[in-house]
Amino acid sequence: MFDIRLDHVSKRYYIQNGTRGRSMGWPRFPFRSKKEKWALRDVSFEVEEGESLGIIGNNGAGKSTLLKLLSRITAPTSGEITIRGHLSALIEVGSGFHPELTGRENIFLNGSMLGMTRSEIDRKVESIVEFAGVSEYIDVPVKRYSTGMYVRLGFSIAAHLDPDILLLDEVLAVGDIVFQVKCLDLIAQLREQGRTIVLISHDLGAIQRLCDRAILLHHGQVVMAGTPMSVVDHYQQMAIGEEETYHLNETIQKSAACLCISFSSTETDEAPRTGYPMFARFGFNAQVPLENVVFNVLIYWPSGYLCAQLTTAISDPQLRIAAGSGEIEFYCPVLEIQPGWYRVDISIESNGVYLDRHQRCAVLHVSPGKLVFGDFYMDTGWRMIPKMLDQEVSVD
Amino acid sequence: METPLRTISDRRETTELRDHWSTAKEAQEPMVALLERKHPLLGSRVAIPRIVTVIRPPSFSLRTIVYGTRTLVGYRDLLYTLTLFRLTVRYKQSILGWIWAVLQPMAMMMIYTFVFSRVAKVRSEGVPYPLFVFSGLLPWIFFSGAVSNASHGLVGHANLLTKLHFPREIIPLSYVFAAIVDFAIACLILSGLMMYYRSPLSWKILYALPVITILIAFTSAISLFLSSIQVRFRDVAAALPVILQIGVFVTPVAYSLDSIPSRFQSLYLLNPVASLIENFRRVVIHGLTPDVTMLLNSGAITLCCLVLGYAYFKATEATMSDVV
Repeated sequence: MFDIRLDHVSKRYYIQNGTRGRSMGWPRFPFRSKKEKWALRDVSFEVEEGESLGIIGNNGAGKSTLLKLLSRITAPTSGEITIRGHLSALIEVGSGFHPELTGRENIFLNGSMLGMTRSEIDRKVESIVEFAGVSEYIDVPVKRYSTGMYVRLGFSIAAHLDPDILLLDEVLAVGDIVFQVKCLDLIAQLREQGRTIVLISHDLGAIQRLCDRAILLHHGQVVMAGTPMSVVDHYQQMAIGEEETYHLNETIQKSAACLCISFSSTETDEAPRTGYPMFARFGFNAQVPLENVVFNVLIYWPSGYLCAQLTTAISDPQLRIAAGSGEIEFYCPVLEIQPGWYRVDISIESNGVYLDRHQRCAVLHVSPGKLVFGDFYMDTGWRMIPKMLDQEVSVD
Repeated sequence: METPLRTISDRRETTELRDHWSTAKEAQEPMVALLERKHPLLGSRVAIPRIVTVIRPPSFSLRTIVYGTRTLVGYRDLLYTLTLFRLTVRYKQSILGWIWAVLQPMAMMMIYTFVFSRVAKVRSEGVPYPLFVFSGLLPWIFFSGAVSNASHGLVGHANLLTKLHFPREIIPLSYVFAAIVDFAIACLILSGLMMYYRSPLSWKILYALPVITILIAFTSAISLFLSSIQVRFRDVAAALPVILQIGVFVTPVAYSLDSIPSRFQSLYLLNPVASLIENFRRVVIHGLTPDVTMLLNSGAITLCCLVLGYAYFKATEATMSDVV
């Protein structure tokens, strides 16, 4: 049984061109100078009861429009949306607050705007305050609140709506660590209870951790639907849109230059896979003999943060190389990073000075290998431990 | 001979018992599961049949009125909270506070008395002019105040429109309801004035209730219509003060209806506010029964306006957040 069904839904917006070139003029009929833009075009999908669906896509792909349609802030231009059950959206929580009113008054105002009755709020107000952690400031006007308190109170009200379907839009990005843990726990609980969740996020990790299924939107259309891992992989590939190996031009002015970098799982040139060995071949050219050389390969998450480093500095800081071109091969017995698309920096250092450095010059595509959950694959061995107690009993 | 019989019955009893026991155990499973679905934050969850909502492109239809009214009833607590909010926020950070609700109509009454009674010498049907003008000013201040506040209400709450879903008509209606409270306060002043001038009080004052009801309905209709137009065309904000200024003079606020030439009267009374003010004055000040033709007339126009205004509002409601 589905909880949400979109049936050929489209949404058109008009973009006002404005009065180009003339600041004043005769009034014109206001519909004329408008350009239309389809934020969503013929989108159809279903969300099953108890499923948690992730929606990803670039800016302007139509994610927010979709969320606005589902939360009934705006209506579709054509098509039909069916929603079974009570839906609550956490879009920019705390936006219904009035700065002059106290926290308590705002709970009543915002709560009733979200569809709660006064008696319902009366029952829940203590719990809302406690969850938000603002009990000391509850009778202070919210204009005196910090941003975190403001958002926490908003999230807490929305969380107490007890919805069948919950829409989340980047809400996890707010609040401190303690509050984020609270939110994640709440979402996990809601999932266990079989509530339906739709999560829209740029945090691909969150999509993979929290969702059962994912949808990729591109230019207002559903490009792909499937397991979070496959959709995220496709999205990253689309976003990177580059070759897997990247050969750099020789730079003559420098005393040493990086030439190329390539990754493979074995000598037979297969793509690297999680849990299997990986080789990285690094081609270089040195004009003169060099001492204290360090070769670096930096691997970055799609989010831009550093993920891992392959370096010669640890094992041999006093590496010497002769003049001429050569190749160095890194060997990882077990590739521990998860499937996905990573960007790569390569560099050559000598005596702590960069001789040549190329940022985001290549892409490392890790294919699914040994499938585990979590941020990393940990190479694991195991054995059965004989139960001593049982043996003693059996001897008797 | 009895022994085998007993065994049979015993066995039947035990099988029945066992059956009962097993069914009870089976029945327990979902019960336990239901109890375990308890949300530590939200309390135990009762399985309620789910409401199915179908969202379609908006259209102008009278059926939306029925659906809209039903939703509005479900959101009555929000209407109450927002009305309360209007009243509390309005006089925040002011020294005189609620006294303004008394001072404003009193000041208007004094100006009108000075201009129309002392300077222009307008006839007032044998009633003290302050009483006469105040009884006309009350419904007019209610109408103009509510309409001018409500018409910019939606634009003023653009941040809510683009972020939350709730029946949008609650915003203009909350201004109308707040104006009802002001109207009630002003009615207390009116009764004070009536006591001061020793104006006779008759049971016919109860006829004011249907008059006020129609006035509230008409004000709501105009508020809904103008507020939804204002979202698209800000011309309303510029035009409305002028129209309301003209309105004071085409309604019998400062003068009596008799001073209008009889051949223009039917045209004049197409304006429901004019006939409602006239009827309000008849029942409150003169202690007469209301003019039934005028009352029915204004009631019929109001009903039409309310139905069309609400249907228009509902048709434009869904895309307000796109254009506001």
